Amino acid sequence: MTTVSTSTGAYYQRSLSQMNGLRDALERLQNQIATGQRIERGSEDPAAASRLRALTRVETLADIQEENAAKLAQDLTFAADEVGGVADLLIRARELAIRGGNDTLDEVARAAVAEELEQLGEELFDRANSLTLTREPLFAGTAAGPAYIRDAAGVVVYNGNNENGAVPVASGTEIERGVTGPEVFEFELNGAPTTTFAVLADLVDAFRGNAGNPATASVAAIDGLDAALDAASRNQAVLGTRLAWVEVIEQNQADRAIATAEQRSEVGDTELADALARLQQTLTALEASQASFARVSTLTLFNAI
Amino acid sequence: MPVAIINIGRSGAAAARASLELTAQNIANASNPDYARRALSQSEFVGSATIGVNSADSLGGVRIGGVSRSESELVQIQARNAGSDLARTEAQLVGMRGAETALEQSRLFETLVEFEAALVRLESDPTDPTLRTVTLESARQLANTFQLADRSLSETRRLVQADVTAELESFQVELDELARINRDLVAAREGSAGRASLLDQRDASLRSISEQFGVSVTFAETGAAEVRLTGTPSPVLVSGGTSSAISAAFAADGTVTFAVDGQPADPTSGAMVGRAAALLDQAGLQTELDDIAAVVISSSNSAQASGSELDGSPGQPLFAGSSAGTITLALTAGEQLATAPAGAPAGSRDTTTLGNLINAIGASTGPIAGADTMLLGLSSRTAGLETRREGLEIVAQAAEGQLLAETGVNLDDEAANLVRLQQAFEANGRVIQVAVDIFDTVLNLR
Repeated sequence: MTTVSTSTGAYYQRSLSQMNGLRDALERLQNQIATGQRIERGSEDPAAASRLRALTRVETLADIQEENAAKLAQDLTFAADEVGGVADLLIRARELAIRGGNDTLDEVARAAVAEELEQLGEELFDRANSLTLTREPLFAGTAAGPAYIRDAAGVVVYNGNNENGAVPVASGTEIERGVTGPEVFEFELNGAPTTTFAVLADLVDAFRGNAGNPATASVAAIDGLDAALDAASRNQAVLGTRLAWVEVIEQNQADRAIATAEQRSEVGDTELADALARLQQTLTALEASQASFARVSTLTLFNAI
Repeated sequence: MPVAIINIGRSGAAAARASLELTAQNIANASNPDYARRALSQSEFVGSATIGVNSADSLGGVRIGGVSRSESELVQIQARNAGSDLARTEAQLVGMRGAETALEQSRLFETLVEFEAALVRLESDPTDPTLRTVTLESARQLANTFQLADRSLSETRRLVQADVTAELESFQVELDELARINRDLVAAREGSAGRASLLDQRDASLRSISEQFGVSVTFAETGAAEVRLTGTPSPVLVSGGTSSAISAAFAADGTVTFAVDGQPADPTSGAMVGRAAALLDQAGLQTELDDIAAVVISSSNSAQASGSELDGSPGQPLFAGSSAGTITLALTAGEQLATAPAGAPAGSRDTTTLGNLINAIGASTGPIAGADTMLLGLSSRTAGLETRREGLEIVAQAAEGQLLAETGVNLDDEAANLVRLQQAFEANGRVIQVAVDIFDTVLNLR
């Protein structure tokens, strides 16, 4: 209204569009503060929106991988416990083998030893067929299980396969699920492959007087039990190492989750101090332009005539 | 000659009153955006007698001319062109924002990631019936999301198409109206208030025409407008009293083409062109969306085909359909998900096939990357349009402001005119009073 050439309509139009612009800016800022999100739609900042999508994917997958790692740690702990139990059991069997091999023992006492050894064999069979929390066999590889079954002759045979299968616990990192039955229960004795079950069964047979001299059988069985104990301890170590690895990975996952959250916040969150300052600035500008509009628009020559 | 003085005073008073009337008209129309400021043209009235040697002038006061309307052809052209460009970008932006809402709010990307996550979780325990069911439901959710995105996108497309149809009808009405104004203008008398009002209507009509399609305008002597579509070819829309028929045709993919009197036209600016551009973009997005759905379908189904189900039988297709609109879940139970390779025994926990599917979904050419690329492209284009609209808005506002400054009513000016014209009227009245006094003086001579 200061220059002669400005028409009244142009003045009102310009003032209105300026105030509308300020009001739009205010609304956007208020939205950002209320939602805590800097970006409401992708077109406000295409690159940041794409980055946010990538971070969403990383976060979602990391959550799943964390669950996978926790579950794997559980399975590995179960397996390690079972293998530890097997080792204890083998130590007891070795004691019994030494006692049973003693020439001074009478038939009845030896039969009692054989009875306990048979019980240990049963427990070993149970442990070999133990399950995870989700009722999957621990030692059958990737097969459906059960891991060990008895064939028609009552001999314990492996029913699984030799693949461990792996669980993805981080992008690019997969950890094997556990150990297979043959790794724990099968080994070579004097150049011939045998199993822990066979060693125990042979010993029971010998102590019951069904096969050869108990003292000789005891000596042979002690060698076999030593080898079996070796295999069990070795796998306990393997499982322990893997468990430690999973723990390291879980620690990494936690660290990475924090880093991802930080990045997400940096890219997508409203910076409150900044937004509030700008809100105040815009508010001041809007109030000032409203006040000056009201003042200036009342200035008309018609008031003077 | 006192009689001449009375006549001069009378003509001056009449001119002042006519001007006052126009000023009042200007003030009354101060907030009428189509109104151009009026002024009264006046000329001196002299009766000159040149017969004989003794030439003498006879003064006759002022002659009231016609109503003149503030014309500003150049500024009008600027305002019209800036308006067409702005309308084009705005219309395209509306279409693109609709598409952005459809594709972003359907959460397609997030659902794809959730599907991938469900597969990764299944890998930890592939025989768990709970995880299998969860994965299957996630696949169902994915199929639903594709359909939702597809439906929202076609809904947006239908809205833009409905806009095109509706606006085209009112555009045709506007063309016919301009042809009528042209006919009336030929008949209107030069300098009459009626003609000025017709010219106002003509300019308003041209403005609303150029909002829909960019046009080039030429004016005849009478003020009648000849309107051509800009671009090549540039068919005549209105010439004299006749208007052309404009029509739009939609292709199967939703894109639109225009024709004037049956001849194909290729306009370059205006809201209609923006809508056409938005429809073209939406057709491209539809293709991208269908491609992503096709990749999901083919990679899932080929993984299933190369694997065996939980009971050891060969895997069946996971999804049926071929595009975002037709994708549906084909499996009915979680046991049917093929995680193990073909030939694996029942209950196998081998995850080779599942691993291959996860790799295919997450690959740099896979659907997740495709969805991100699609959304990034869409939001970048929308952001670009927004920036362009902001620039054009400033230009259009400047042109509009300029036009209002040239042709609009300035109330301060009119207030000053009121005072001035009132004084002029009083002064002319005084002139008549003086003439009467002189006449009386002459009559009283003894």
